[in-house]
Amino acid sequence: MTPARRTSALKGGALLVVVVLALLVPVFAPDPATTNIAVFTTMYVGLATAWNIMGGYTGYISLGHAAFFGFGSYALGLLLAHLGIAAGYTPFLFVPVAGILTVVIALAIGWIALRTRAATFVIVTIACMFLLQLLAENLVSLTGGGSGLSFPVPTWSGDFFNTPYYYAMLVLALVGLAVSAGIRRSKFGLGLLAIRDDEDKALAVGVPARGFKLTAFVISAALVGMIGAVYGYYVTYIYPQFVIDPLVGISMVLMVFLGGLGTLWGPVVGALILEPAQLWLSYNFGASRLYLVFYAAVFLVVILLLPRGIVPSVTDLVVRWRHGSTAGPTGGSSETREALAAPGVRSP
Amino acid sequence: MRRPVLTTVTSILTVSALGLTACGSTGGGKGATAQAGTPITIGVSVSLTGDFSGDGKALVQGYDLWAQDENAKGGLLGHKVTMKYVDDASSTQQVVTNYQNLITQDKVALVFGPFSSLLTIPASTVTNRFGYAFPEPAGGGPSVFTRGINSLFFVQPAAVEDNLVSFTQWVLSLPASQRPATAAYATEDDPFTQPQVDRARALLEAAGVKTLSYKVYPAEATDWTPLAQQVISANADVVILGTQEPDGVAFIKAFQQQQYNPKALIETAGPDQGADFSGKVGVANTAGVMVPAGWYASAKTSGNAKFVTEFTAKYGGAPGDISGDAAEAYSVGQVVDQAATKANSIANSALITALHNGTYQTVQGPMAFDATGKPNGATFLVQWQNGTPVPVYPAAAAIAQPLYPKPNFGS
Amino acid sequence: MTLVPQAIILGILTGGVYALMASGLTLIFGVMQIINVGHGALVILGAYLSFALLRSLHIDPFLSLVVTMPAMFVLGVVMQVVFVRPLKGDREALSVLVTYALALGIEGLLGFFFTNNYQQLNAWYETASIRLFNFRIAYVYIFGFALCLAILGGIFWMLYRTTFGRAIRATMLNRTAAQLVGVDVDRVSALAFGVGVASAAAGGVVFGITNVFNPGSHYDLISRLLTIIVLGGLGSLRGAIVGAMVMLVTTDVTAVVISPVWSSFVFFVILVCVLVVRPQGLYGVTVRDRA
Repeated sequence: MTPARRTSALKGGALLVVVVLALLVPVFAPDPATTNIAVFTTMYVGLATAWNIMGGYTGYISLGHAAFFGFGSYALGLLLAHLGIAAGYTPFLFVPVAGILTVVIALAIGWIALRTRAATFVIVTIACMFLLQLLAENLVSLTGGGSGLSFPVPTWSGDFFNTPYYYAMLVLALVGLAVSAGIRRSKFGLGLLAIRDDEDKALAVGVPARGFKLTAFVISAALVGMIGAVYGYYVTYIYPQFVIDPLVGISMVLMVFLGGLGTLWGPVVGALILEPAQLWLSYNFGASRLYLVFYAAVFLVVILLLPRGIVPSVTDLVVRWRHGSTAGPTGGSSETREALAAPGVRSP
Repeated sequence: MRRPVLTTVTSILTVSALGLTACGSTGGGKGATAQAGTPITIGVSVSLTGDFSGDGKALVQGYDLWAQDENAKGGLLGHKVTMKYVDDASSTQQVVTNYQNLITQDKVALVFGPFSSLLTIPASTVTNRFGYAFPEPAGGGPSVFTRGINSLFFVQPAAVEDNLVSFTQWVLSLPASQRPATAAYATEDDPFTQPQVDRARALLEAAGVKTLSYKVYPAEATDWTPLAQQVISANADVVILGTQEPDGVAFIKAFQQQQYNPKALIETAGPDQGADFSGKVGVANTAGVMVPAGWYASAKTSGNAKFVTEFTAKYGGAPGDISGDAAEAYSVGQVVDQAATKANSIANSALITALHNGTYQTVQGPMAFDATGKPNGATFLVQWQNGTPVPVYPAAAAIAQPLYPKPNFGS
Repeated sequence: MTLVPQAIILGILTGGVYALMASGLTLIFGVMQIINVGHGALVILGAYLSFALLRSLHIDPFLSLVVTMPAMFVLGVVMQVVFVRPLKGDREALSVLVTYALALGIEGLLGFFFTNNYQQLNAWYETASIRLFNFRIAYVYIFGFALCLAILGGIFWMLYRTTFGRAIRATMLNRTAAQLVGVDVDRVSALAFGVGVASAAAGGVVFGITNVFNPGSHYDLISRLLTIIVLGGLGSLRGAIVGAMVMLVTTDVTAVVISPVWSSFVFFVILVCVLVVRPQGLYGVTVRDRA
């Protein structure tokens, strides 16, 4: 086998192992404390992956994706309430409907926000998020406003309860990863990367930038909306400021940056590290008031030392090490090549 | 006043430790039945950081004091009690995580409630799922009781929406010649404040008190001057404000600024914060300000004298400085102790059955719970007089006559 | 109907404070092309510094600026040199994250030293008021407005009448060209950051007297400031001032005419409408390329 073939076979095998392990989590560790962390971690794997489709590939940083998270959540909650759907497995079937509704709102927000670029875009996404939050708070007859919105609660036992939600989150995360991988391989994906590198040049060579950006934005938002829907059903009670929460939006961005912006696996790595760390630290050390300072310090160090994120930085190291020891020209995972290739990618 | 959840950022140092160390235990404990005499742990998720952290601290003080008293008398039905607190950073996600961890990982014998309806609601579905009784001191919004959960018990004298009922009764008890004819309302858009104000408005309107102004404002406002201006310009006889502490203080400052003195002024929260409140508005400006309260330091309720003495001995300060939150937390313990004695068991199922029947004595007075866990009592009307809050209504509980009309600010 | 004129006057007076805070933010953006997400936390830090001086030494909040502004200036310069300057690659995105981390660090430290309870700066001019037509305005709004005007005037004077100001303006126009004609861009950036942060201290005092604050107050504040500078046009001082006035006047008037719960909503709608017509904001020049 050529080294390249071997790498891709290895990669396929590794992928399979990861998926099988993920599927078996509730079997290995049925304890609700674990499956609960698994639900939230998988949720953020999905969120970060979805965010990366917009933020990572086009370079448009949205800090307002929590808007779609909350919107999807409210969409499902209201659907269940108005259609009188009882708790159980049926509500999961309505998650895609929440996703479709999110598409509608994302088209509207995207149309406005994508008229701007760079820093202005960042801020417009924040403004749109607060707009939705205010609507959720003030349209009391629709959303319940400040009293929040309750979901039907399944009567599953405590030991089993988390498992269906875990699989729902896992399905969405895998769909997100598949979409993300598919985009990378497509002409559409090349167009997005071209926009990231130089939007004006991309336009000049015929990339339909507006349509491409809007499409990426809407795909990303729809995934986030569906994940938000499952989240709402899982926590059983939502409240405008707790689901359209700027920190949910910022968390996914941090995970992507930590793992590696614009890479396929970076968001996954970032989420796998950050979310359990946060839940666990908060549970065990939350009482120490200095932990926020500690977070900030670690975070600063990471950005200043690993500005490109873990996946690209680590794979760089591996490449350099392999290069040094074996002089193999094709060393490194495809991730590295993708990461390295991305900035210089040619427009189609 | 937006909720700042702190934790959303990173921690790389713990990376590797994580995923699996956090997990790892086997099988869920269903109410972990303790052998006679063995020590037990009671788990609570409290807000030690974030917007509710002030109240969270008061809850911890109340719970700790109860545990100390309980252990001094030999424990809860013979079991020595240890409290375990975990921080929920005032966030849904964390509160859901915390109660699952407490129950299945730490296998605590009992759980007590967190602060605020917003956290109590998601927490109660978790505890209910595991069959735990959920006595809670601070989640009394209407939506807490409509979720078909029978293991939750709100340990305050009245559901939140009924808090201002004693005030309206007092207003309507005034002789016709003095009775206020008009009212102005302003409330935060919050499940704690708005239902109270709406209820009071309905009751007063039904009795013929005209509404001159009714404003709802967002909970995250931090400059309330424009709102205060509107209340002032309505120039009503009675002002009813759905506030928490910061806006409660701000309204009074604005009224003083504008030299506006309604005949009666009540706030849903703020004036109940003892010395903290009088320190912020100035003692001279507290005279005549009213607040509904489930508890006050000089009340002759079950165990209250002991609670107040021990509290000031343990944490310092004057009786007037004790936060109502601490008394509510202490009551949770009292209720559980009596329920355990009555059921002769600390098993959660036995406690749930016991709590649905009978009346329980607390520092907040006697209370009983209906099928949804709603208490059936009423609050007192408390008024600041000579620099301290005193109960003035209903007459049975009053230790002073209500000042009406309210003295001018600064007098 | 005195409420509307009253709301307009109050909106303009409080708008002055937001104008000052937003100016610091937009100045930093203009010079360095970075969004200082930590600006809100720095304002709150300024408020706490004055709070500490008030509580321990009974120094009047306005007077305490003599100490806190220079201190915050130095802090700003240090922050720029240590955390912002080393950023390479996608500076705009990375700077958002770095300054966000700084905001969290500041929030954590403030929580540690001052607890998370709400505080307010107290002074005699907070409750004393002056009669204006048929309503009263507290002195603090007038003093605060005057202070903000003075500092904004100082910033404008510095920008348009000093050599350093010319260097700043040159850097804002075109960083590379400024460098080519001999402007020490790094030095200008550090000092401009310092000026922006020092003005945050002044904003913090006025904010701290008219609002309650706790260490977490910066989230709300920064989102307001960001929308103000986007409305005005990123990097435009005039835009920041006009944006602040528009925001405060619309929110205050909406609160009176419709309802307080819709006041921010109306502002956001205005923002979105402006951006649909002029994506670069009211006074923004053409959209800069990110490269």
